[in-house]
Amino acid sequence: MISYHPDSRFLTDFATANLPLSEAVCVSAHLEFCSKCRAHVQQLTDIGGHMLSRLKPEAVSDDSFESLMARVSSSETLAAAGEPKPEAMLAASESAAVTDESARATSLTFLPRSVRRLSSGSLEKLRWVQLGKALRVAPLQVDDASRDTAIYDIRAGGRMPEHEHRGEEITVLLQGSFSDADGSYTRGDFVVRHAGEAHQPTATQDMDCICVVCLERPVRPRGLLYRMLEPLVNYRLQKLSRPAAC
Amino acid sequence: MSSSDENSGSNLRKTTQTWGVQTIPDPWEGAIRKVAQSQDRAEFKRLFDHYAPLIKAFLSKGISSYADRSLAEEMTQEVMIKVWNKAASFNSSKASVNTWIFTIARNTRIDFIRRNGRADRTIDIEDIWHEADSPEPVVELQQRRVETMIRNAMSTLPEEQALVLEKAFMESKSHNEIAEELNLPLGTVKSRIRLALSKLQILIDR
Repeated sequence: MISYHPDSRFLTDFATANLPLSEAVCVSAHLEFCSKCRAHVQQLTDIGGHMLSRLKPEAVSDDSFESLMARVSSSETLAAAGEPKPEAMLAASESAAVTDESARATSLTFLPRSVRRLSSGSLEKLRWVQLGKALRVAPLQVDDASRDTAIYDIRAGGRMPEHEHRGEEITVLLQGSFSDADGSYTRGDFVVRHAGEAHQPTATQDMDCICVVCLERPVRPRGLLYRMLEPLVNYRLQKLSRPAAC
Repeated sequence: MSSSDENSGSNLRKTTQTWGVQTIPDPWEGAIRKVAQSQDRAEFKRLFDHYAPLIKAFLSKGISSYADRSLAEEMTQEVMIKVWNKAASFNSSKASVNTWIFTIARNTRIDFIRRNGRADRTIDIEDIWHEADSPEPVVELQQRRVETMIRNAMSTLPEEQALVLEKAFMESKSHNEIAEELNLPLGTVKSRIRLALSKLQILIDR
């Protein structure tokens, strides 16, 4: 059962689309597991709809409708020429959503839509960096310079190096579970760690724990060995996050 | 369970829905449906005349600080094109037309901001702010109740609470940006928004 949810700040900033993209990826991932938060976002969005309807209208230019319809007509000519019709595309995405629902119930690793897109459909297509025995990390390319986003894969029973956070960290569990001194977390949980908090997550024995993680700034590992490795690790991650052509 | 039990169960649910919630019919739902079913241009013109100036007002608020305001006109067209193209996906049990159009305008707005930034996009806005799931009946019922609450209670909010909602939803500002602009601690902005939400019957635990 999901016990950790985004707070009202995350949900409101998400509903108004004012979250940094990487954090929005995390919230949207949680929403696919949590109907309660989905309902909240829906309700928050209604505030937007209501306020929109009460705005003082701002006149559009006189030819706005005509030029709009001209654009619509030309895109329909394109459609007739073999481009997929918008309705058909929508129908396809609707049926994809239905598959999602059943996939979530049956499959071990359900990938939220945003993560699926960022990993081209499969986590194995990502470029993984092995960090010690228990952890491998694959950076995700989100256009968001303020944060690092990545998929973490902690081996079943594996323990991550103890680390302290220099900025906010959001973790959403996609598979398995882990625990640290503060609690235990399972699939769908949305876990926030603030700057200055240190922890050492350990994955449970039954299966690998896969999370999407969004980090405000790189965390500082506590042990001397890891601190020495850190520049190297960061270098490797940065190198990987650059496009292949570079 | 016998079939008669099932019937009485569904009757009970129906009664609760009509009895517990006063829903006002959505005046624009029919127009969207006609656009979806028969590409009805006259109905679309009606929608355009009503919504385009509202959408433009919303988008002008959002972009005044960072870009040319004439962009609002272009973005409004973009939103209305999406209304035309996506009319078939509108689901009246999920959202009112107001809310649906707000989400399209909101997504179009951030899409424009991103296009101004970088060209190499790895993810579409719709991959994050999508509507993949249908609400369960109970949620839907709550949803109607909240819609009614929002309509009725919005005008009764204290000014300072109405202001933060206005900044978040219409001026598209994050909690942090609102705190900075009003020179308030982040915690104060958060609690004002939470108070406002609870008056609108949106009860978020944290």
